[in-house]
Amino acid sequence: MTRISETQAQRQLVSRTIENKKRVNMFANQVASGVKAALPSDSVDAGTIARYKQTLDKIDSYTTTIQRTKSFLTFQDDVLSQASDLLVRAKEIAQQGANESVNNTARAHLAEEVYQIRDHMASLANSTYQSRFVYGGADDDDPPYDVAAYTEPSSGPAQTRYVFDAEFGTATINTLNVTDDLSIAMNTPANKVFGAAIEAIERLGRSLGGYSTTPSSGTPDGGGVAYTFPTDYQTQTAAILSSINQLNVARDNDILPERVSVGGRLRRLETGESLLSLTKNSALEVLSRIQDADETESAANLAQAQTALQASYAVTAKVLRLTILDYI
Amino acid sequence: MTNFGAKILGSSISSLTAQQALIANSSNNIANVNTPGYTRRQVEIESRIDVANIGNILQIGSGVQLGNIKRYTDEFLESQLRSASSKKGQADVRNDYLSRVEVSFALDGPQSTVGSALNNFYSAVNQVGINPSNVDLRINLMQRGEDLIANIHSTYATIAGAQSELNHRVPLEINTVNSFTTQIAQLNGLITQREAAGVIAIDERDQRDTVLTKLAEKLSFTTLETANGMLNCYLDNGFPLVNQETSRNLTATSSPSFAASTLPRSLSGEVLSYVTYDFGSATAPSHLDLTQLLKNGSGTLAGILQMRGTTDPLNTSPFEAEGDLVSMASRIEALTRGLLTTANQTYLGVDEDTVTAGFQSNAGDLNGNPPGVFGLFDFDFSGVKDVDGDGIPSLSDLTSTTPLISNFSSLIKLGFTNPAEFAAARDNDPASGSKVFPPGDGQNAAAVAALRSTSSSFSLGNFSFSGTMEELYNSSVSYVGNAKAAAQLAVQVSDANLLSASNKRDEFSAVSLDEEFANLIKYQKAFQASARMIKTAGELLDQIVSLI
Repeated sequence: MTRISETQAQRQLVSRTIENKKRVNMFANQVASGVKAALPSDSVDAGTIARYKQTLDKIDSYTTTIQRTKSFLTFQDDVLSQASDLLVRAKEIAQQGANESVNNTARAHLAEEVYQIRDHMASLANSTYQSRFVYGGADDDDPPYDVAAYTEPSSGPAQTRYVFDAEFGTATINTLNVTDDLSIAMNTPANKVFGAAIEAIERLGRSLGGYSTTPSSGTPDGGGVAYTFPTDYQTQTAAILSSINQLNVARDNDILPERVSVGGRLRRLETGESLLSLTKNSALEVLSRIQDADETESAANLAQAQTALQASYAVTAKVLRLTILDYI
Repeated sequence: MTNFGAKILGSSISSLTAQQALIANSSNNIANVNTPGYTRRQVEIESRIDVANIGNILQIGSGVQLGNIKRYTDEFLESQLRSASSKKGQADVRNDYLSRVEVSFALDGPQSTVGSALNNFYSAVNQVGINPSNVDLRINLMQRGEDLIANIHSTYATIAGAQSELNHRVPLEINTVNSFTTQIAQLNGLITQREAAGVIAIDERDQRDTVLTKLAEKLSFTTLETANGMLNCYLDNGFPLVNQETSRNLTATSSPSFAASTLPRSLSGEVLSYVTYDFGSATAPSHLDLTQLLKNGSGTLAGILQMRGTTDPLNTSPFEAEGDLVSMASRIEALTRGLLTTANQTYLGVDEDTVTAGFQSNAGDLNGNPPGVFGLFDFDFSGVKDVDGDGIPSLSDLTSTTPLISNFSSLIKLGFTNPAEFAAARDNDPASGSKVFPPGDGQNAAAVAALRSTSSSFSLGNFSFSGTMEELYNSSVSYVGNAKAAAQLAVQVSDANLLSASNKRDEFSAVSLDEEFANLIKYQKAFQASARMIKTAGELLDQIVSLI
């Protein structure tokens, strides 16, 4: 016959009560936190959970990078748009100036506006984004274009010119790894984008202003020679027409392709961002499946465990109180 | 002619005595219903032989007499209980310490871990690579780096602290074991002494069983009872802990006679103690090493040694020991050494000047200065760090310092103290010996950030791993999780086994109040009946006397 001793009965009941209390505690934690695997021992997939969490952190980091880069490239797109407009305006002025109904004095007045366009173009080449020069390459704390001077004339906008400041780093194209398998060029050296445009506008300005010497690339050439009117009027007209061609070349070969390139990079970033978003959703789904608690299930389990615990308390209290003494 | 009146009185009186003895025994059982280790007893009674009427046809009997006191105990059940206690002691220790360590590898919650801090650090380096001259991003990088360092320090300290605590528990546990074995030897003497006089030493045996169960919580052993009631205890290799009235005291020593003078350091730089028996004298000890034997057994001591780790006396590195905490610490230390070598090597870049002898870093900070040998991650040490002087941080540098450094996880620090000192750029001037570091150059930072996806080999002591640093951390999470889950399961199983063994033992040996109260009624009724018989015998005698 099986004997049931007092300690045996008490131990068994207390053991069951403790077990039920543990379950209540476990399910209450799951319901409160929404997570069923908070510690590595809570799941056999602990390593996988850690990996997915890292993946999600990486995706967040990449997404931030992409958003910053998009903002940077959008700024460049605006700059290039303005540069393109400036070239169009410069071409309009050149066409107006090339008309031989315009005398050399009127042409000199047009040169004033051309020099303003040139200054604006140079300021675009020296654009800053968050206090850094966008087209400075790695040398982004230094403007890529510096102001130099002609000796002739001795004053006025025609006296100055813009020279590309070729230093170490100015030719660097910063490439950014926005994700593990997507890298994007962040910038193009200033002289590759704006060099021809500035030079073409400079030529136009000098021609309209009445100087035969055109700026050459590189260091200033030391000055220019003034046309003699009316002798050199035809020569001046030819020079203006020549600069129209240069404006076209600068726009078609440098500004527009760069703008297309920036647009292409923006689209690649957007595609990358979409892919990251998809990957993130997928990772979140898997992570949620293996780490998160099913609220309904956990709540139901909690209710069940609570009922079991209440029953344990009731049974323990009643059974342990019961002795044969009560019936003697 | 038989005097039946006297016989009735004699039988009744013997019954009164017997019933009182039975009631007294029940009273004692009831009194000890909650006494741990108490074994219920039963007074055995037997009919008294009617010596005066031997040979007579009519043998009515002459009452009842008290026999022995029976002790309800079963050696098999006691041994099962001891075995279950032993397993539970071991499982509890492992589970307790793994629970403490596991928190450092949490998968969820507000606290950061080495894994999340490493991830954030790489992200911050990547951000600096995009915009190297942005001071805010550099400050963020420093904060992330400090966070990573703090996490490495705290995780390693948690593991090393647990090992140190376990190491200090060893002598305390050994003292307890010695106390138990001494008690068993003393009880052996008392039992033999009392039983030689023909008395069953019930209380002493109960006490001895209780002490044996307590001893079993500490370590696993086998027992053998001799004919004279003595009980010998042996370790699994036959080493007698208790031999009759003699107990052998174990010692926890950090300088055993079989080891070299320099003993292996623990994760925190202490000396791991050995569990031994000293055969020698106080002046010339001769230690028998029992550490591995106890580790392979069960009980609290086994759990402690398995968690703390044990090591060959010839080993000198704390990571050569074999134990759960050592395995976990090895992973963190391997990661730390990876940061100090692989990450620093990448951070230094390549030799910029192949003409000039020696390594010249092609990396530079915002001020144009190259990083130091341990420029990204450094460690607190006043001696020579680049031991071979080649300008490149390597594992051989780390393992050749004077004096030797046992762990770098508690010494690692950030290699730069100013955000501008982070060398994000690489030399833009291709000429040997001439360096230019434009502030917007982030090539070096990008190279460091790329380490996140670069596989390396990590090996330390008995541990080796090949993969990225993040994968190394993930494998550590798996290791800790599996170890803890196994310990948790072992606790559940041992709890169930102990419950079952205790119930089986109590089913047979413990006091049941129901049974005792039922017996009490039975004995009381018998006592009343016997008393009534005396009255009846008196009335019979009165009748006879009235005839006169």
